[in-house]
Amino acid sequence: MDPGKPIGRNMRLTGMSSPMSISGQVPTPHVTTAPMSAESSVTKSDAALIAAAVAGAEAAFRELFRRHTPHLLQFVTRVLGPSAADAEDVVQDTWLRAYPALVTFRSESSFSTWLCSVGLRAALDSMRRGKRHIADELFEEDSAQDPPHQEDRMDIETAIARLAPGYRMVLLLHDVEGFTHEEIGVQLGIAPGTSKAQLFKARRVMRVLLTGREKNA
Amino acid sequence: MNYNDENELSAAERELLAALPREKATSDLLEERVVRALRREGHLGTAGVTRIRRLDSAWKVAAAIALFAGGVATGRFVMTPDAPKSAAVAAPASIKTRDTVPTNVRSTPVKGELFVAETELWL
Repeated sequence: MDPGKPIGRNMRLTGMSSPMSISGQVPTPHVTTAPMSAESSVTKSDAALIAAAVAGAEAAFRELFRRHTPHLLQFVTRVLGPSAADAEDVVQDTWLRAYPALVTFRSESSFSTWLCSVGLRAALDSMRRGKRHIADELFEEDSAQDPPHQEDRMDIETAIARLAPGYRMVLLLHDVEGFTHEEIGVQLGIAPGTSKAQLFKARRVMRVLLTGREKNA
Repeated sequence: MNYNDENELSAAERELLAALPREKATSDLLEERVVRALRREGHLGTAGVTRIRRLDSAWKVAAAIALFAGGVATGRFVMTPDAPKSAAVAAPASIKTRDTVPTNVRSTPVKGELFVAETELWL
């Protein structure tokens, strides 16, 4: 396995157009397939389901929901970390944001990836609303936390949840979901260099949490 | 500090991360919640309403065309010169046709009468 590559499965974001992207450009609608019946929606592609859902077909939307929400829920749960109890609310918020923007989705990127980018924004807003973290300060260099002195080992899921939000998001997006630093920069509104620095520190803290001891260089 | 070189994941770490579950089971309640919320926002369930509205509009246009065509046909039938006399007979008595209007036999005064009238004015 190439250590230079992220682990995520087919999560490249080339040409991704997020409705929440900073550029604010509205891409031209790309999905032109005609609406279809509920019976035929089971075997249809995401593009066909999206077109039908945009036309108001509830069955198509439900199929799209069942196909992509399990991954979205897992992703949002990890992003929220200790606030994972709000994950279902964030998923609902994500779909409410994503539905009106479905017409802007371009099929050259994975719908799941696009949906996760919407979910990430919804999760960040949820964290800001709850004042659990001051999200704008998460990615400043000065806010980097020192590795905790952890006596016991923990599993990787718990270790990720225990990371500071800024570390957790970058580590999840890069090492789990497979985003590049440039893409993370666009999604989180930070410079790619900041993303790299956050990942460096996130991995260091995660190792401490996993091994139960701090490595002294 | 070069963040690229000294902090790469080990094979074991990569395996740990790769083994993380990618999906989490969702409940039917969540699906219903989202669908209801989208309905409230007016996004879902609008396909049937749109069809009914289109059908309604089509009926209205067809009715308007039929009404116009009926009016044109009736107008032509009434205004046709060689229409059957029964149509004139059937008309109400209050309507005066050209035949019943009295004709003015002396529509223009005679020259002599004009002279007399003018003379009387001077006297």
